[in-house]
Amino acid sequence: MRLSFYPGCSLEGMANDYARSIDAVFKNLSIDLVEIEDWSCCGATAAHSLNQAMSVVLPARNLAAAEKMELDIVSPCAMCFNRLRFSQNMIKKKVFDIPWPVTGDIRVHDMTRFLAEPPMIKSIKERILRPLNGLRVVCYYGCQMVRPPKITGYTDYENPQTMDRIAAAAGAQVIDWSYKATCCGASIGIARREIGESLTKRILQKARQSGAEAIVVSCPLCQSNLDMIQKDRSKRHTPVFYFTELLRLSFEEHGDPKWFKMHFTDPVPLLRAKGLLS
Amino acid sequence: MQNIISNPDQAHEHDSGEERKLIGDRGDYFLNRMQGETGVNISACYQCERCTNACPVSHFMDIKPHQAIRYVQLGWREDLLKSSTIWMCLSCEMCTTYCPNEVDVAEIINHLRNMAAHSSITPKEKSLAVFHQTFLEVLQKSGKVNEFRLMNAYYSKPDILKERVKQGILIEDLLLGMTLLRKGRLKLFTPKSRAIKEIKKVYSQTRGEIV
Ligand code: SF4
Ligand code: SF4
Repeated sequence: MRLSFYPGCSLEGMANDYARSIDAVFKNLSIDLVEIEDWSCCGATAAHSLNQAMSVVLPARNLAAAEKMELDIVSPCAMCFNRLRFSQNMIKKKVFDIPWPVTGDIRVHDMTRFLAEPPMIKSIKERILRPLNGLRVVCYYGCQMVRPPKITGYTDYENPQTMDRIAAAAGAQVIDWSYKATCCGASIGIARREIGESLTKRILQKARQSGAEAIVVSCPLCQSNLDMIQKDRSKRHTPVFYFTELLRLSFEEHGDPKWFKMHFTDPVPLLRAKGLLS
Repeated sequence: MQNIISNPDQAHEHDSGEERKLIGDRGDYFLNRMQGETGVNISACYQCERCTNACPVSHFMDIKPHQAIRYVQLGWREDLLKSSTIWMCLSCEMCTTYCPNEVDVAEIINHLRNMAAHSSITPKEKSLAVFHQTFLEVLQKSGKVNEFRLMNAYYSKPDILKERVKQGILIEDLLLGMTLLRKGRLKLFTPKSRAIKEIKKVYSQTRGEIV
């Protein structure tokens, strides 16, 4: 199977560990990810906020490149996924001029949903060498992957299940909780840190109260936000994993602590305690 | 508490002291314009406040999301463009998802933010507006956004640096930056995209320049 891959800017920087785990997981699943030729930034919140035309045009450039390759896109970042889908939607409405030949007909998959399809779950299960037994996690989806449902195509946007199914397939104990899709405030976190922190801390607190030892995410912004702002009086540490990091761990007989060296909240002690790392 | 219907003076508590604004000549001009540009049926709002209740940051906003919709109906354009609301909004799409009348509240607020960015009104939340602006500047320079360059460019804005010093968080920011570098999360160099020229051209065109 071949798909085009739109990594997005974060995967070259802050989320480089995500990129590496994706690479390992897809190789193991024998799915060929072909990076979109000379891709450019999707514009994220900034283009959308200040210049709507650019928020349609910027993702369209990448859509056009993928259409040329005749391969559906898989996007690991929730924000890019949302912007690509939004752009497709607007291309169809024909209210902005796009300087590149593009129809918007290609399929844009969000990576979690792609891997949570029943045949994928089956092949994931076949490859598990070391199930994540006893690891209690909550999955956190955030905003852009699920909302607005008209764009993202999620019908279970209030209680999304894609990562829950994947983490369960890897053997983890997945806990239900109510803050799966509540905003973590990452987009405001740099300019107005106190507001971002108030939102982030609430999510961390709820995750801990639900009994989770770790949080599983797929969005680079959510990851860095939840991972970096953990300081509080309780001094509790709740590692924040990309879902592909957990998959990679369960796919290989011996994990490597080096995989997790970019994390702020060090997950190695937890994984060692669970016998998942030596 | 007195009923606001029997006591019209309290109907607009938040701007008490100000003159009552009459709709007068503006009529529904602004409403029609907003509906036309966004394709959203703003008139369908019946002020149930579900959007505001779903919003994670409504308590930081001076005009609440449901009020913003009402203001559009009334044509109170300047109040909206001057508000903290349009910058505070996280585009989390909770309001849009839960509106019983399919009013795309997030899109309305986003459109107002676009309008404010192209107006002469000073943004109430300047640090947020400048952040978006900086992001687009970096994007135009390399076609992609490198976080290290983004943070550098953001802190190089005179107002931002001053503000961070005033709030006493500059040291914290620097320490965070160092940790990020040490952990390899900030990359000094990342590849550029070849699209820079094309992107610049479209960007100028969207701002009405003939290129
Ligand atoms: S949820 Fe919809 S109908 Fe209710 S106040 Fe908000 S915009 Fe109006
Ligand atoms: S999109 Fe903006 S206004 Fe709507 S709920 Fe989210 S933060 Fe509030």
